[in-house]
Amino acid sequence: MYRYDAYDQAFVDERVAQYRDQTERYLKGELSDQEFLQLRLRNGLYIQRLAPMLRVAVPYGTLSSTQLRMLAHIARHYDRGYGHLSTRQNMQFNWPELEEVPDILANLASVEMHAIQTSGNCIRNVTSDEFAGVSADEIVDARPYCELIRQWSTAHPEFDWLPRKFKIAVNGARNDRAAIAVHDIGILANRNAAGEVVFDVFVGGGLGRTPVIGELIRSDLEVKHLLTYLEAIMRVYNRFGRRDNKYKARIKILVRAMGAEEFRRQVDAEWTHIQGSAQTLTAQEVTRVTGQFEPPAYEQLDDQPLLLANARLEDVGFDRFMRHNIKPHKVAGYAIVTLSTKITGVPPGDVTDVQMEQVADWSDRFGHGEIRISHEQNLVLPDVRQSDLPALWVLARDAGLGATNASLLTNIICCPGGDYCSLANAKSIPVAEAIQRRFDDYDYQHDLGDLDINISGCMNACGHHHVGHIGILGVDKKGEEFYQISLGGHSGHSGQAASLGEIVGPSFSRAELTQAIATILDTYTALRIEEEPFLHCYRRVGIAPFKEKVYANAD
Amino acid sequence: MPTLIKNGVVATDDWACGPDATAGQRPFLAPDAWRVAGQTDAGLLLQVDSEPEEDFIKAPLIAIYFPEFKDGRGLSLAALLRSRYQYAGDLRAIGDTHHDLVHYLVRCGFSSLVLPDGRDVAVALKGTEVYSHYYQGSVGDPEPLFRKTRR
Repeated sequence: MYRYDAYDQAFVDERVAQYRDQTERYLKGELSDQEFLQLRLRNGLYIQRLAPMLRVAVPYGTLSSTQLRMLAHIARHYDRGYGHLSTRQNMQFNWPELEEVPDILANLASVEMHAIQTSGNCIRNVTSDEFAGVSADEIVDARPYCELIRQWSTAHPEFDWLPRKFKIAVNGARNDRAAIAVHDIGILANRNAAGEVVFDVFVGGGLGRTPVIGELIRSDLEVKHLLTYLEAIMRVYNRFGRRDNKYKARIKILVRAMGAEEFRRQVDAEWTHIQGSAQTLTAQEVTRVTGQFEPPAYEQLDDQPLLLANARLEDVGFDRFMRHNIKPHKVAGYAIVTLSTKITGVPPGDVTDVQMEQVADWSDRFGHGEIRISHEQNLVLPDVRQSDLPALWVLARDAGLGATNASLLTNIICCPGGDYCSLANAKSIPVAEAIQRRFDDYDYQHDLGDLDINISGCMNACGHHHVGHIGILGVDKKGEEFYQISLGGHSGHSGQAASLGEIVGPSFSRAELTQAIATILDTYTALRIEEEPFLHCYRRVGIAPFKEKVYANAD
Repeated sequence: MPTLIKNGVVATDDWACGPDATAGQRPFLAPDAWRVAGQTDAGLLLQVDSEPEEDFIKAPLIAIYFPEFKDGRGLSLAALLRSRYQYAGDLRAIGDTHHDLVHYLVRCGFSSLVLPDGRDVAVALKGTEVYSHYYQGSVGDPEPLFRKTRR
């Protein structure tokens, strides 16, 4: 993984010093709330419903064991003993003291981490495939390009004061685990006929109150042009994106207003001026950064089908773990392990300080000291020897990280919602818990197959409800919490095109919601042909039969 | 009193501190009036959404008015005037400028700024000293870090 050089380290150290000075001036009354607000946001600090919230950047979801231990330390000393994995692969702390944030940032900088640009109207942390570099279905390792974008976008002189927040995702695998279709810029890394890395660039996708699938505006972009082409897009957006209405300020609104064709024309016109400029990537720089992501020293191992088959026969829990939480690795004898945080009764994405330290230890013991955070809010160990899987399973199970549901219904994506977030219209964590309790039976879940339920507590869609097979959106009706259900959304992770869910109809009270989900699932199991997955079935039959059943007993 | 900072030091000159000049100050004029007044004598006043034009480079001074410090359009406009139109005169940020954001202004090509009353001049004067290196190139320093040094 990427290691800081002296320049990277100096930058984060100087950033901490700058923010410490800004915090001190704010506390002395020398900076107004409004003046300080924009500064603290660009250092990850929100003021939430109950306390400040600090969002720590985990660039493209990649952590070392040392870094995860530091996050555990921060959780223990500056928070209440846990952190929260966000849908953008970051870690959030819900209870830091504003006065102590400079110290937290200094701790982060000591392990090559930061919270720069994790909030505010600027280019946010770049996200990617949590299996990048190890997955069997990978075409291009997206991480070096994410890192190049991270450096280019950090304190960019021109693009740190945008009309609205700006999210870039890069995917280089056949299955899109980075949801590039619903990002401000989505980049698909591919190889051309000559085997060289090229990019397809999508713009204007997004969730929020106006969900949109991004438009392809450039195919086969050469690596050296990556940053100048991004610069051209950002300049058009920075100059012409709306600033009069925050709900119409995302790039998707600009692309839609101009039309994708005209937007592309303006970007190309801008790009002709800067293509080949000094910002053009050099082969040396690409090689330097790519070289930091060279595979670790894998042992010469064979796959272990017999050993694993025997272990599965002996332990039904391990069998389920293998079925749902293990993905094929590109190197023989290894596996990718997802450690699910979706344990009934625990808010989705929450991990304790002790769990963080345990996972860090496992990553050292069974792998190469690396951990990933997935946008589904789970932890991933990317390099586990197959022969170690039974031992890891027992440890994970005993540590409360053994939910065997990584692709199943109870692996719910869920925002912090009204329990924490000041933007939320409704709570989301108790809704997730109610669904997990109702459908806890493993055999039932297994019978349903792959199913994504995504919950957002408001239109901002941090829980990605638009791309859940079943999406749940919290809405406020005269001060009461209600929930709108949508069906048929998909983020693009199983090799199929991304799609946005369709709203079933009038919303449900929290008391009615779980039953409505049950009716939808019963309708699916009655309509499916053989082992047809939920999404395929929905796409075949449409929304009408679901609508009919779910409102059949109304009034 | 608003404070003029020019090329990194507190300065005075006879240009207006904002869109409106008082007695003894030379005003900035919007593009149409500036063309009428004689382009090489009068200062040019641009808004953050102004479209740059070829003849702007004749102005001895261009002021870009920031309605809010968080409005980044003025940064792109400044960068375009310097890099694409080769504007070489004084480029001044006026309006709601923020003492903690000086490095953005300077890196996008502003040579002077007027800080409103109540903003911290001492912090602004040290604004370009915060970071020893940046990753990207900028208007006055176009080479990105990866071209300047062997990393």
